[in-house]
Amino acid sequence: MTADALSLVCNLGVLDSLSEASISEILESWNSFCLITETIVKGDDADLSSSYSKFQSYVSSLCKYGLRSLVEEHFLISLQDMLEKHVAPKFWKNFDAYSNVTDLEENDKDMHEDEVELLLCKALEEISLEKQYQEKYLLMLVKSLQLCQDSTSMEGHPSDVEKFFFSKYHLIISSVLMTTLPRQFPEVLHWYFKGRLEELSTIMAGNYEDSESQDRIGMELYGKGKHPTQFGNMDIDGSYDQKEILENKLVRNIGMVVHNLRSLGFTSMTEDAYASAIFLLLKAKVFDLAGDDYRSSVLESIKEWIQAVPLQFLHALLDYLGDSISYLSPSSMKSPLASSPSSCYPGASKPSEGIIRWQLRLEYFAYETLQDLRIAKLFEIIVDYPDSAPAIEDLKQCLEYTGQHSKLVDSFISALQYRLLTAGASTNDILHQYVSTIKALRTIDPAGVFLEAVGEPIREYLRGRKDTIKCIVTMLTDGTGGNNNGPGNSGDSLLEELNRDEENQETAGLDDDINIDDKQAWIDVQRWEPDPVEADPLKGSRYRRKVDVLGMIVGIIGSKDQLVNEYRVMLAEKLLNKTDYDIDTEIRTLELLKIHFGENSMQKCEIMLNDLIDSKRTNTNVKATINQLSQTGAESQEHEVSFDILDATIISSNFWPPIQDEVVNIPEPVDQLLSDYAKRYHEIKTPRKLLWKKNLGTVKLELEFEDRTLQFTVTPVHASIIMQFQDQTSWNSKNLAAAIGVPVDTLQRRISFWISKGIIAESSGEDSNDHVYTLVDSMADGGKTGINNEELVADDDAERSVASVEDQLRKEMTVYEKFIVGMLKNFGSMALDRIHNTLKMFCVSDPTYDKSLQQLQFFLSGLVAEEKLELRDGMYFLKK
Amino acid sequence: MHSIPISPWHAVASWTWDAHDETCGIFRMAFDGCCPDCKLPGDACPLTIWGACNHAFLLHCILKWVNSQIPQAHCSMCRREWQFKE
Repeated sequence: MTADALSLVCNLGVLDSLSEASISEILESWNSFCLITETIVKGDDADLSSSYSKFQSYVSSLCKYGLRSLVEEHFLISLQDMLEKHVAPKFWKNFDAYSNVTDLEENDKDMHEDEVELLLCKALEEISLEKQYQEKYLLMLVKSLQLCQDSTSMEGHPSDVEKFFFSKYHLIISSVLMTTLPRQFPEVLHWYFKGRLEELSTIMAGNYEDSESQDRIGMELYGKGKHPTQFGNMDIDGSYDQKEILENKLVRNIGMVVHNLRSLGFTSMTEDAYASAIFLLLKAKVFDLAGDDYRSSVLESIKEWIQAVPLQFLHALLDYLGDSISYLSPSSMKSPLASSPSSCYPGASKPSEGIIRWQLRLEYFAYETLQDLRIAKLFEIIVDYPDSAPAIEDLKQCLEYTGQHSKLVDSFISALQYRLLTAGASTNDILHQYVSTIKALRTIDPAGVFLEAVGEPIREYLRGRKDTIKCIVTMLTDGTGGNNNGPGNSGDSLLEELNRDEENQETAGLDDDINIDDKQAWIDVQRWEPDPVEADPLKGSRYRRKVDVLGMIVGIIGSKDQLVNEYRVMLAEKLLNKTDYDIDTEIRTLELLKIHFGENSMQKCEIMLNDLIDSKRTNTNVKATINQLSQTGAESQEHEVSFDILDATIISSNFWPPIQDEVVNIPEPVDQLLSDYAKRYHEIKTPRKLLWKKNLGTVKLELEFEDRTLQFTVTPVHASIIMQFQDQTSWNSKNLAAAIGVPVDTLQRRISFWISKGIIAESSGEDSNDHVYTLVDSMADGGKTGINNEELVADDDAERSVASVEDQLRKEMTVYEKFIVGMLKNFGSMALDRIHNTLKMFCVSDPTYDKSLQQLQFFLSGLVAEEKLELRDGMYFLKK
Repeated sequence: MHSIPISPWHAVASWTWDAHDETCGIFRMAFDGCCPDCKLPGDACPLTIWGACNHAFLLHCILKWVNSQIPQAHCSMCRREWQFKE
């Protein structure tokens, strides 16, 4: 060993200068040095101070010969050996009981935690003691070396030397411990901290509640900030003192453990352990607070809790450990929060950066956890909207902080597709959900970027449903009774609600149609912000557009024309079935629609409404003049019933949707009235004349029986049917049909109404096609009519006075039928778009072909159903 | 049984101009509609009284026509001199 050691000295020339005596001196010193090192390090030496002087002399003699580095190394190596062979194994043996980690994880946690605490404390104390001894030895070496300093040139400050050695020692001890680390140690640490934190949190929770109540009083008295003060608080309560002491003791214990762990070089592991414990606790707390209750905002209380428990703990801990500087990297940025002293602790010093960092970390974690929770339940939250508005607010704040909007979009879309867009959901429900989604997401994302993405699948799906347009129109305009679980008050249609909302929001009038004046434009320019990153670049700039609920609803269909058309048909139906001239609600709705869709689109509807207003006036006019005339005796005819019972709605048929016309004979007296009315009208409003649509309108009847009186509001056809029974109580269906002037099958459909009400009874007559209808006088016979109830339901469609949009389409396309048949005859078979293109080319003259591909397809499938065409492999053929 | 309509019989009728043709010769749209300047049909945009030649037009249309044709307007259907029928 000596030879090798000698060769370490760079200057081999020195060797020549060594005399025999010096070599032997060296050898002697070296041996004794080794021996004494051994005894010292082993700790067997009872009397350290005596060995010290001997030690020192050896060291100095060796140093004289320039063997300083050798000495250092040897000493350190022997320390290391000691650690490896004795100290470390002893330390790790303590935790052998936990070697089977997975088994112990689940069972008897509580018991183990107590054990763990004691064990850990003890083990750490032991090893810290050992370490202290070794450090003492090291100090000896350092001092000895320092004494040699004056003889040889030494660089550095004495304390530098010390630091150098100590850092080397730390490195040694931590590397030894790390390399011999058993698997279960991190787990053990984790358990320990988890247990401590839980204990601490229960104490602090008690404290928190106490101090919260105290705080409230405090707030009333002093009007101070809202965070509870715990350390150094005025103690009103005696028990409060006790808790604080307990807390401090606990913190002190933990602090000691952490300190020991740190000095052993387990810094990162320790931090890891208590960080994960804190996060676990935080997560549990978030789950606890947030839960399934969407009616209250939990974000604030979570933040408060973070302040209260973990941060207090960390604050105390780090203070205890004298934190504030050492283990933070010197280049850490100044956190913006660090400069504001107003948060956290009144009376305490400015929170250190470490605390700030922890706070940020914890808050981020809390935000993320809460956000994940809420996103998972977003579907339910939106169903509950607007009751769950606070939850949406929370989510908004979380998202602002974490910026993980895409997660929301993805998860929500999949939830939607799984739960909403299925065949089992009614169109109405889907639409409602869509509107709620818009409203809810509008608060989170005012620019509507994510709303687009989320709404897309819904829109796609709704376009596939046939009754979408009708539902939309109904939802928009039908106020009372339309939607039981819809938003807004009853009596408020969706449209009115939207209008109200728009007025409440700023710059409601920002429509594409309206010209924006300069001032507004300037304001907009100043407020310009670039689109969020996720915005679809194809969709154009959205900075001006706030989310427009109505626009999105219309966007489902694609264009507003279809909507307007559908509304027109609906409106016509409604107006024709009115018994009075009261159209206030319709006027209101029309005004709102005009705002949204523009005046031109709603022109026809406006004309329809105006017709009604005019007819009211005309009606009074006509009746007044007729009464005058009859008084003056110019009309010599006698009326069984006076004119008071007749009211007429006069429509400009050009602007109304096509009306279903049926021939029917109405009772004679009424007929007479009608023609008189028409005559008067012609006289007043020359050169206009009236054409009666006798099957349309409403009649209010009162049927008097022996034992009861019933009132009905029915169509003229029904009225004339029942009035036939006034004269004759039993009718053959053929005769009845002839009397009323309708075909027999129509009669059967219409009469089922009365049958279902129990007024008329049906029984079979001579032929199989023939039925006999008898008037039912009393309720006793009513039981028989129950059988026919099912047939009634199918009739609703035929009762419509106005042809539906589909029927209209059908009629228009019939013109093209000839073209299509001719084309197919010439070409044999054609695909859909070829037919479409050819029609577009050839039908430029009246009527121009302006149907869409879808409408053509619909029509063609109708023809296929009628067996005029065949569809094979996407090609249409003529049916042979 | 006795049935009495206790409330008005509410009937529906449509009005139409009592004229020979269906469409206004000038404007080429149905009479029952209105000229392109008016929004509402009916009394707001009436038929003119017939001309001497028994052709009828929408009042606004014929007025415009007459005002633009100097010196004497011709009925666009039969090319006779236009006179409002007295």
